[in-house]
Amino acid sequence: MTLPSTVPILGIPWADILFALFAGTMLASGLAVVVMRDIIRCGLAMMVCFGALAGIYVMAGAPLVGAAQVLVYIGAISVLVLFAIMLTQTKTAPTRLAFQTQAIPAAIASVVLVVVVLLAIGSTAWGATADQRATDTSAVATVLFSDWVLPFEVVGVLLLAAVIGGVFLAKRERGKDVLE
Amino acid sequence: MIRVIGGTILASIVIVTLGLIGIATGGSRSLSSYLTLASILFAIGMFGFLARRNAISMLMSIELMLNAVNLVIIGFASFLPDASANPQTGANPHASGSVIALLVMAVAAAEATVGLSIILAIFRNKKTPLVDEYDAMRQ
Repeated sequence: MTLPSTVPILGIPWADILFALFAGTMLASGLAVVVMRDIIRCGLAMMVCFGALAGIYVMAGAPLVGAAQVLVYIGAISVLVLFAIMLTQTKTAPTRLAFQTQAIPAAIASVVLVVVVLLAIGSTAWGATADQRATDTSAVATVLFSDWVLPFEVVGVLLLAAVIGGVFLAKRERGKDVLE
Repeated sequence: MIRVIGGTILASIVIVTLGLIGIATGGSRSLSSYLTLASILFAIGMFGFLARRNAISMLMSIELMLNAVNLVIIGFASFLPDASANPQTGANPHASGSVIALLVMAVAAAEATVGLSIILAIFRNKKTPLVDEYDAMRQ
């Protein structure tokens, strides 16, 4: 038995339902990241947001980017952020005031930004867009090591510099804590 | 128990409502739906960066904004016509979009590493993660 290509009653393709589910999860957890008071929960909501975004990448026909999103963001950056949260949580720090006094102007500015961008998107004729198509991973590899080989190497050097800089900055200076 | 059930129901209502945005702008086969999602995510990140007091929250908001930009790149790349291939090498234009997104991801990882270690270094001196108490330059 095979499923029909559209949802029986509504007539919407299954792909759109899946896309809406990913989009709703992504936006809802993104909102949770910025409005929740407990910062640990913010970090966990950020992981959910990145996971839903990986699903959207796969639906957009870039499965390699979706896999890299799961590996890099959920696997590495979220863990890094959670460790930093646990290292910087103090018992005396007030958890009640999560927002600065400029939160309301910030909200107004964000809403204005989104309205302006949505108007621009809606009023632009995206003339020559082709049909959506998936990217095969071997083509990504070919392009990465032919057209993009110099940026690839530069990013490798950048990552090395970032790792060394991160270790140097986060390193405890010897003897300083004893003096305090 | 009631709080858990209520929270779940509220969360599903929010998810469905926000998901309707995705369907209303054309579903998974239109460019404008990707751009709409990305702009909303970027605005959420911008609000978080401007409004939160905790430095790590601000860093998480920056990550959200970077992801929104990545979504725009992937969205545009997946709707490119084939005629936009590189004339010399004939490289696949869709693959170039994936490569740019991967490079952005690597730079974001580097940025998160350095940013978090700077926050840890400041925290060791000031004993607080709240940015409005970093007022050494004001005195």
